[in-house]
Amino acid sequence: MGLLEAVRGAFRLLFEGDPVLWRIVWISLSTSVVGLLIATPLAVASGYAIAMSQFRGRRLVIWLVQAALSLPTVLIGLLLYMMLSRHGPMGGLQWLFSQPGIVAGQVLIALPVLLAFTLAAVQAADPRFAETAIAHGASPWRVMSTLLYEVRFGVMAAIISGFGRVISEVGCAMMVGGNIAGETRTITTAIALETSKGEFAEGIALGIVLVALALLVNIGMAWLQGAGGFRR
Amino acid sequence: MTPSVAHDHSPLLTVRGLARTIGLRKLFAIDRLVIPRATAIVLTGMNGAGKTTLLRMLAGLEPAPGASAQWTDARGQAHDAPLTPLPPALRQRIAYLHQHPYLFRTSVRENIAYGLHARGMPRDEIARRVGEALGWAGVSHLQDTAPEYLSGGEIQRVALARAKVLEPELLLLDEPTSSLDGHAREQVIGLVGDLAAEGRTVVMICHDRELINLPGVVRWKLGDGVLDTHHP
Repeated sequence: MGLLEAVRGAFRLLFEGDPVLWRIVWISLSTSVVGLLIATPLAVASGYAIAMSQFRGRRLVIWLVQAALSLPTVLIGLLLYMMLSRHGPMGGLQWLFSQPGIVAGQVLIALPVLLAFTLAAVQAADPRFAETAIAHGASPWRVMSTLLYEVRFGVMAAIISGFGRVISEVGCAMMVGGNIAGETRTITTAIALETSKGEFAEGIALGIVLVALALLVNIGMAWLQGAGGFRR
Repeated sequence: MTPSVAHDHSPLLTVRGLARTIGLRKLFAIDRLVIPRATAIVLTGMNGAGKTTLLRMLAGLEPAPGASAQWTDARGQAHDAPLTPLPPALRQRIAYLHQHPYLFRTSVRENIAYGLHARGMPRDEIARRVGEALGWAGVSHLQDTAPEYLSGGEIQRVALARAKVLEPELLLLDEPTSSLDGHAREQVIGLVGDLAAEGRTVVMICHDRELINLPGVVRWKLGDGVLDTHHP
């Protein structure tokens, strides 16, 4: 199949509303969003706590988080596979080769990115900030919510990066999800499979969807940042 | 809006055992510091004498190990507690302003309302107090402005208003006019004079002749590790 023909086929699939293709897009999107919804509060709260407190082993924790940023997703997939397999410690959940399994993988993949970005954003905040809040009688919870609001663009950048990482990862979703059609086949695992079969049209169509998603998310981010400003 | 106990002759606050060493060097050691009621105090001393550290310890922003605070509450009950962490009853009575105050990246109005929200005050009461404070500081026309558009003098006035709405009995000001000149400086001096005239105790680090010469100002001098509270 020629390249031009494949691209033409891709657009045909997209515009004819091919149900198989859109089902794949839906599975990818929903598992990524659910994974992020679970990972974000956990990561933001721990990032804030690590940034604001002094404890033994703090530098070790920060070093581990930063090291986790560069963990290959197949390694996370391998660990999760062992945990979720029938004889593994979490085998009873029966999450292997299911969407909850993929979501668990997305959570593990997103956590270090979200945590490291939030940590950096909170650490970069002006030290007078927390002092001002405390001096005006704010409770620890209020200090946290005001500070996170103050560094909201850093936290949003964290979420966008986390989304970028989970929507585009293939290793973990392939191993833990199993690439089952209509169930656990995501955009990336489908592209890998179709390409190996020589079916480039569907791969290109899904690639276009991925690029469009990336653009949309970034436009949304830019818009939010613009809308956040005040005018005199 | 004058503090209800301004006519009381007992000290506002007595602090014992305030000391700070940096490495082997003793910065200061103050056995007993009596902060009188309704008094404007100017704290002077060489650079590096520890003036800011002393103020920050009193504000509970810097640890003061071993220091204790004694005060009498509005019902005439005596209290004695460690200065660190700052007892909530003192937090409510003490305001601290950084040399360059930090304004939250919301609006001028929201900045002034911050401490009132933290105290859980009803919305209409907050609106009334904030309205008064905006007028007092002469910043009503800036109430919806974001802090990044304010001048140094406006920032200082908003910060004074943000502290005043909480009706503190003790205001700790770190060089309130250091970066101002001309009309902006005059306005801030006027506001500080108002706060003192209302019967609040104001302790300010400053080199500004005009503030030092405000009527009834008491001078404290920190030097050679001791605080001289009878400085002419």
